[in-house]
Amino acid sequence: MPIRRRRVAQLVSAVLASLVVAACQRGPHRTVLTVYSPHGNDLLSFYEKEFEAAHPDIDVQSVDMGSQDIIDRLRSEKANPQADIWFGAPEEIFERAGREGLLAPYHPTWANAVPADSHDPNDLWYGTYLTPEVIGYNSQAVSDSAAPKDWDDVLDPKWKGKVLIRDPIASGSMRAIFGAIILRSIRDTGTPNQGYAWLKRLDAQTKEYTLNPTILYQKLGRQEGLITLFDMPDLAMLRDRYHIPVKYTIPASGTPLLVDAIALVKGAKHPAIARQYYEFVTSQRALLDAAERFYRIPVRTDIPADSLPPWIRAARDQIKPMPLDRAMLEQHLDEWMQYWDSHIRNSSR
Amino acid sequence: MSQRADEKGTWLFALPVLLVLLWTVVYPNASIIVGSFEHGLRSWRQFASSPTDIEALRTTLIISVGSVIASVAVGLPLAFLLTRVEFRGRRILSAVATLPAALPPLVGVVAFLFLYGESGVVTRGVQALLGLDHAPWTLNGAGAIIFVHAYTMYVYVFLFVSAGLERLDTSLDEAAAGLGASRSFRLRRVTLPLLTPAIAGSMLLVFMSALGSFSAPYIFGGGLRVLSTQIVASKLNGAMGLAYVETTVLAVGAIAALILLRWFERRRTYAVSSKGSVVRTRLHSRSARALAPIAGVILVVILVLPHAMVVLVAFARDGTWTTQVLPPEYTFDNFRRLATNSDLWVPIWNSVSMTAIATVLDIVVCLLAAYLLVLRRFRMRWLLATLVALPWAIPGTAIGLGLASTFDRTSLAGARVLLVGTFWILPLAYFVRGVPLVSSATEGSLRQMDPSLEDAARGLGASWWLTMRRVVLPASRPGLVAGAMLAAIAAVGEFVASIVLFTQANRPISMEILSQLRNFAFGTAAAFSVVLIALVLAITLIARWAEGRWSRAEAVVIQ
Repeated sequence: MPIRRRRVAQLVSAVLASLVVAACQRGPHRTVLTVYSPHGNDLLSFYEKEFEAAHPDIDVQSVDMGSQDIIDRLRSEKANPQADIWFGAPEEIFERAGREGLLAPYHPTWANAVPADSHDPNDLWYGTYLTPEVIGYNSQAVSDSAAPKDWDDVLDPKWKGKVLIRDPIASGSMRAIFGAIILRSIRDTGTPNQGYAWLKRLDAQTKEYTLNPTILYQKLGRQEGLITLFDMPDLAMLRDRYHIPVKYTIPASGTPLLVDAIALVKGAKHPAIARQYYEFVTSQRALLDAAERFYRIPVRTDIPADSLPPWIRAARDQIKPMPLDRAMLEQHLDEWMQYWDSHIRNSSR
Repeated sequence: MSQRADEKGTWLFALPVLLVLLWTVVYPNASIIVGSFEHGLRSWRQFASSPTDIEALRTTLIISVGSVIASVAVGLPLAFLLTRVEFRGRRILSAVATLPAALPPLVGVVAFLFLYGESGVVTRGVQALLGLDHAPWTLNGAGAIIFVHAYTMYVYVFLFVSAGLERLDTSLDEAAAGLGASRSFRLRRVTLPLLTPAIAGSMLLVFMSALGSFSAPYIFGGGLRVLSTQIVASKLNGAMGLAYVETTVLAVGAIAALILLRWFERRRTYAVSSKGSVVRTRLHSRSARALAPIAGVILVVILVLPHAMVVLVAFARDGTWTTQVLPPEYTFDNFRRLATNSDLWVPIWNSVSMTAIATVLDIVVCLLAAYLLVLRRFRMRWLLATLVALPWAIPGTAIGLGLASTFDRTSLAGARVLLVGTFWILPLAYFVRGVPLVSSATEGSLRQMDPSLEDAARGLGASWWLTMRRVVLPASRPGLVAGAMLAAIAAVGEFVASIVLFTQANRPISMEILSQLRNFAFGTAAAFSVVLIALVLAITLIARWAEGRWSRAEAVVIQ
């Protein structure tokens, strides 16, 4: 009997001790600022360190997830927001979040340095980076001269069954590319049909729609497929940071330039610190860091051109922004993607 | 004590247990069903007219049926082999036969990708061996999912059928043989009919698990649609009504399977009449004796391979493994990072503490529930029996979604507490998922106790508390420990409900693995997976140790 009683006492005290430790762990000594962002660990931990060095009493916790995941999370946490700041996603998603009342307005000190179409008229979100969409290829298997130079080159029969595409429904980048293709068709012919036909031919070339970027990167690096359409900063990171043999070409006829934005979360627990972080990651110095280290092109137009890294100046010459009718995109993109999903996806196989 | 007073006393325990289960299991799922009718029938019409949803429903059913067939094809012969035939290597094989069940879902799927994916070790190995210029197969679509399901779910068939065979009296078989029945006739007319409830029960269990399976279609569905991933996709697109309809359809299917399962379970108790005695036959033919160990070794390798693969990748240098068969460079960096970066300890600690909390809750609630179910008579017994079994059928995605949409605000009138975004939502989800495991195991143990023992103790003047401690608790102990072990193993690697509910502050290991994968840090993800496998092992050892300690303590008490 005494043995068993001791055992029970031990068990109970072990559980209690673990609960106490758990409670302590969650009682932070520093104020926690929670950032939701799809920008990846490297960029996020870089800013995290810099910001924490300047504000030793703040603990920045960056939660890395997809843009679409973030808006979903903000929706379900509406009554008890966990994030203070939302750093990164195509403006289209911020636009929707703004309409759903998930964002708090903020007028940054550099508001005048942003073009009118790259921020919300009510200050709910502001553009931070411009993200060009590009054509990526495995540089071990495909020589630079053989690589596709423009969107239509991807439809060349030699790439049949060699194209990998990130699942377009969940990806801001892919939605932008598909949207741009349809817009081009509407501009040229007045209807989306030509665009759908183009996407159908792309579907016939496509080996697989990968669930997430990681699987895309892995398959591309290991030559399960050779060609992909994706955004430039992510492919550049893949090459430099993870040594995956990947290169990209900027489509000659023009490419959609996504505006990536930032916003404060409505009902955030630490709005004052969130504003500090907002200003911090969008300062000239931080934007230059992002350009040099992480291949991000700043939206702010007041950064002296000669302080920008040479690759941006070169890219700016090469990139021919595709005209995007944002109002039309916002109205019809969901419908187009829905049509693609039920009529085009996997239809050619 | 009068009957009436007894029932009153019973209600003292039954009411809180019933309320807790109604509140945490029924209420969230009922609110999903209600939510699906929020816009009248619109969401349902949308579901019925959407070709993608119909396709998802069809694929889900195909995959579930396929998984059942595949699991039976693997589990049934293996169970026969291991219980009926004596051969060299039998012990090792039976030791690893249940290993797949201990592999956390996300880890298992990732390991399969590394092994059998188009650029996986086995695939590239076969390709190199045969000198092909293309991968011999692709791990994609329904076939791939069924393959993974067969690996993890055959264990159910194996365990059910083995248990059935252990209980089956071989003397029946011998009697039939003595009467001149041929081997195949005996199998057809004696063994299989007696095993039918066990086989059917395990088939339904596989069907339910496959129906709600999320990680395999999520990771390599490759654009394939099933209901569980469709729910998450609808939620991502902000179409909550549709997500609720999809969840309801999925849960109703699984609950129907559960009801069938319960029916078969009741039949099984009729079938068992004697305790049974098993005689293992030795292999007589020389070729069979030579082949059995070889087949055994191949099976053991296949079963251990996913675990081994995870360990291998945990030591591979990230980014170096491209077109080679095996990772070319190895390093301790992944573990060094894990050991030195205290940020990376947080998810490990979170998983451990949340699992501990959930398991303790499971033990308390399920011990009371099993006690009420087995030893008490009261009018709501059927309700309690249904409630403790229900979370078995409800897919993890549905449990997650239900909790997320119910506990997203505090409302006294609605009996809601704000838990979304807090630490407590995940322990609650783990608790709910553990209820059927702990309660059914505990119930099983208690059923083996003579119910008159409790009456005798009370009749001799022992208080309720003393009876509980000295009679009921010792009798329920083996099941309680085993059930708690299973619940803790499930909770520590839980992925499906966690992905819907986790927050940065309580992110569990599975979410950290997903986020490392997202960052292309396969090595770190694998290192975390190794930690997870180690935790599963630790839980198993603790359960064994607790069982041993307790039985020894018991021996002392009896002396």
